Amino acid sequence: MGSARMFGPRRAEKNAFQRLLSLNWGMILVTLLIGSVGVAMLYSVAGGAWDPWASRHSMRLGVAFIIMLIVGVMDIRYWMALSYPAWGVGVLLLVAVELVGDFGKNSQRWLDIGFMRLQPSELMKIALIMALARFYHARPFHQSRKITTLFTPLILIAIPVLLVVRQPDFGTGITLVAGGVAIIFLAGLPTWFFIAAGVSVVAASPIVWSLMKEYQKGRVLTFLNPESDPTGAGYQITQSKIALGSGGMTGKGFLEGTQSHLNFLPEMKTDFIFTVLVEEFGLLGAVAVLLLYTIVLTYGLLVGIGCRNQFGRLLAAGLSMTLFYYVFINIGMVMGMMPVVGVPLPLISYGGSAILTWAIAFGLILSVASHRHVSLAPRGSGII
Amino acid sequence: MNTVSAYHNMTTETHRRSAIEIARNRLMIGVVLFCFAFLIMIGRTIELGVSAPKPRVTATRQVVTVPEVQIARADIVDRNGEILATNLETASLYAVPKDIKDPQEAARQLVSILPELSYADVEAKLSSGKKFVWLKRKLTPRQKWEVNAIGEPAFQFEREEERIYPHGRLAAHVLGYVDVDGNGLGGVEHFFDAKLGDKSRTSEQLQLSLDIRVQYALADELQAAMRAYQAIGGAGLVMDVSTGEVIAMVSLPDYDPNNVRGVADTEKFNRATKGVYELGSTFKTFTFANALDDGVVSMEDGYDATKPLRISRFLIRDDHPKERYLTVPEIFTFSSNIGTAQMALDIGTERQQEFLGELGLLQPANVELTEVGAPLVPPVWRKSSTMTISYGHGLAVSPLQLASGISAMVNGGRLMTPTLVHNPENWQTGKQVIAPDTSRKIRQLLRMAVTKGTGGRADAVGYRVGGKTGTAEKAIAGGYARKKLISSFMGVFPMDDPQYAVFALLDEPKGTKETFGYRSGGWVAAPVVRNVILRSAPLLGVSPKQEDAGLYQDVALLIEDKKKK
Repeated sequence: MGSARMFGPRRAEKNAFQRLLSLNWGMILVTLLIGSVGVAMLYSVAGGAWDPWASRHSMRLGVAFIIMLIVGVMDIRYWMALSYPAWGVGVLLLVAVELVGDFGKNSQRWLDIGFMRLQPSELMKIALIMALARFYHARPFHQSRKITTLFTPLILIAIPVLLVVRQPDFGTGITLVAGGVAIIFLAGLPTWFFIAAGVSVVAASPIVWSLMKEYQKGRVLTFLNPESDPTGAGYQITQSKIALGSGGMTGKGFLEGTQSHLNFLPEMKTDFIFTVLVEEFGLLGAVAVLLLYTIVLTYGLLVGIGCRNQFGRLLAAGLSMTLFYYVFINIGMVMGMMPVVGVPLPLISYGGSAILTWAIAFGLILSVASHRHVSLAPRGSGII
Repeated sequence: MNTVSAYHNMTTETHRRSAIEIARNRLMIGVVLFCFAFLIMIGRTIELGVSAPKPRVTATRQVVTVPEVQIARADIVDRNGEILATNLETASLYAVPKDIKDPQEAARQLVSILPELSYADVEAKLSSGKKFVWLKRKLTPRQKWEVNAIGEPAFQFEREEERIYPHGRLAAHVLGYVDVDGNGLGGVEHFFDAKLGDKSRTSEQLQLSLDIRVQYALADELQAAMRAYQAIGGAGLVMDVSTGEVIAMVSLPDYDPNNVRGVADTEKFNRATKGVYELGSTFKTFTFANALDDGVVSMEDGYDATKPLRISRFLIRDDHPKERYLTVPEIFTFSSNIGTAQMALDIGTERQQEFLGELGLLQPANVELTEVGAPLVPPVWRKSSTMTISYGHGLAVSPLQLASGISAMVNGGRLMTPTLVHNPENWQTGKQVIAPDTSRKIRQLLRMAVTKGTGGRADAVGYRVGGKTGTAEKAIAGGYARKKLISSFMGVFPMDDPQYAVFALLDEPKGTKETFGYRSGGWVAAPVVRNVILRSAPLLGVSPKQEDAGLYQDVALLIEDKKKK
């Protein structure tokens, strides 16, 4: 702890109970508020019934709440020690999916582990951020800025990305890459490098195109020009836009949406749930929900800014970015600003994996916040 | 601490600080980007909210509650009183497990009567010792009798009703279906759910405008054509042109409303009202009516159709090129895109939009169904849109909207609101959209298109059929699929006193040996219309008779026949 002494006296660390009390309950409340919007929308999608979706969604929210608290109260050093193992387990699970995964919706993403269906690619989003944060935590700054240091992080990113893209799940692939890049950026790699990388990505896009499956190409083409195929692949987006437009300023009222209730918005309880929201609660409802997300995610970044150790700083920022991608990709997709890639709206869409990801990620951010003054040894503290 | 290590610590410290500084600065950039991204999303929401197409406003509350008492629901009948949907009394079986002496034996006997139940499941329920368990809903009378014969007093029945559709698949998309608790979930069952389910009105009936006999003829012919041409779907309509009543409405593939479990969404999809299609040349009827009514052209005028027409990056061609100067009736009869597009330019974009809007082709149809599709209108109505829309490309509407528009073109110019309900007291005179004389000219043109043009295969002898073929390439990403067609025919009969419009559409038909590989509306859809007319005209009270050729003399003279040449 040589250098830590230079920062003045170490503050007394809190115990678990004190940490529980000092959690940012306001933000936890906002998170639950977003979740309850999800419950309301699923109630509406079922035609005004708790079953089958709203009831299970509230149950999952309850579980998520508890997980969030547990993760948030646990000592940050445990999480740091778990970073690499979590990454390894994530990769193993992805390989397992490849070997024995269930087939759901054209692609192999699920792993049936008896009591629930697990989507390892979701957990990988967190594990990757953890591993990268730990890696850069252990490097002195002048090393972090070197291109040669980039080798290990690129491997850490590339392995899960390749496995995920093989499934094929481009949405998660993009999120993993973007999350990884965000960490590398925050760790201090010179800016010119990112510009160069951006240029080469554009140059490489034809190769990616040739690797994509037919339906994925269709989605991109439809995205570029949705009106070209209004009854086929563009149907979802066109109908979704109509639903968005039909809400007006204050919406048609709870349970009164027509575009989304009749069965011509496929996947409306999952990926397209935002349209139900806009149709029934209008612009004001949509803006309110977007503001809630903005508050929570900006808080995540501020935790990163206020944190005094590199691991926590990178972790909080990277996870905030990852959660942000969910929201941004989902809403962008629904509004026709992005291709349809199948990313849920966290806490609102029906489905367990995204809620679990949010719970763990946000719990970690809370944990970083409670340990913002703690200095961590570069190679972990030997707690495990 | 010696100087060397102090120096070392100093540099580490500097590095630490700059690490923090860089990360913080870059995080601040992140915060700004965050807020910016959310601002974009909010902006886009507002933009869509202001600019997106507005669908219909008929919002029906769809709150489903489980009823505590038995359902009772009004019957649905066709225009002749034939029952289309009714309720049948059934019994649902429950048990009082705490009163059962020998659950194993009772379970064994019950499973032998109702083999679809699992023994283990029933046994577990019966030995639970509870006061009430459901065993099976909706038993047949015979099953109920057999269960009573077991003589187990703990088995008891709850009286229930089941919705029955005696005609099965026929008219499935019009009727819709109900869930197990009797709530309407589609078609008129959903639209009139509140009225049909009103306990105080169950003795009343909902009388639809459908004629189930005509419905059968249409469904049968369309099904046969779909099979013959291996089409992936079909839609058909018969409409009373003077009242707007829908006499028959078919969407294929269909489903049996008596048993909707496992029915795919594509089967529930009503292609006649919810599906919107670019319908091709049938749309020319509207362009001609518009031009003739405005006095932009007269029947004696003509356009140059010697060569394809170039407009920006499009090339407008004719499917049956004559490569000469064509008169107005010739352009219609030979279905010239080149001539029609020029006519549309003379009408002008604004006027075209206004006219199509008056015909209700730019908003969703107003009919007693919630499964109504919004037309797909070009986002920007350019000069090229005007030209392509004039012959039915670039604007997708539902078959119901087309039938309703065509009815107005032939009935003397009155636009009727299409309806599925038979209620003569509510018939209105309709809105005058074109002059009666323009309507007369359109009747002449439609008849010519059948006797001299592309619609020859629709000519049901004696019934003076008029009509227009429509063949459109299916819109796909980035353009049109030349190999995938929407082939349709819009027919009206009898042409000297129009009474009924008959529409048939096939989705992606394939050519056969009999059609020499052709898949156009004239080859595959026109015969469906002819057969439907031959089968249903006697039912509808239209008699065949000798045609008065004088009615068409003046127009016929303007058409130079290929054969004479």
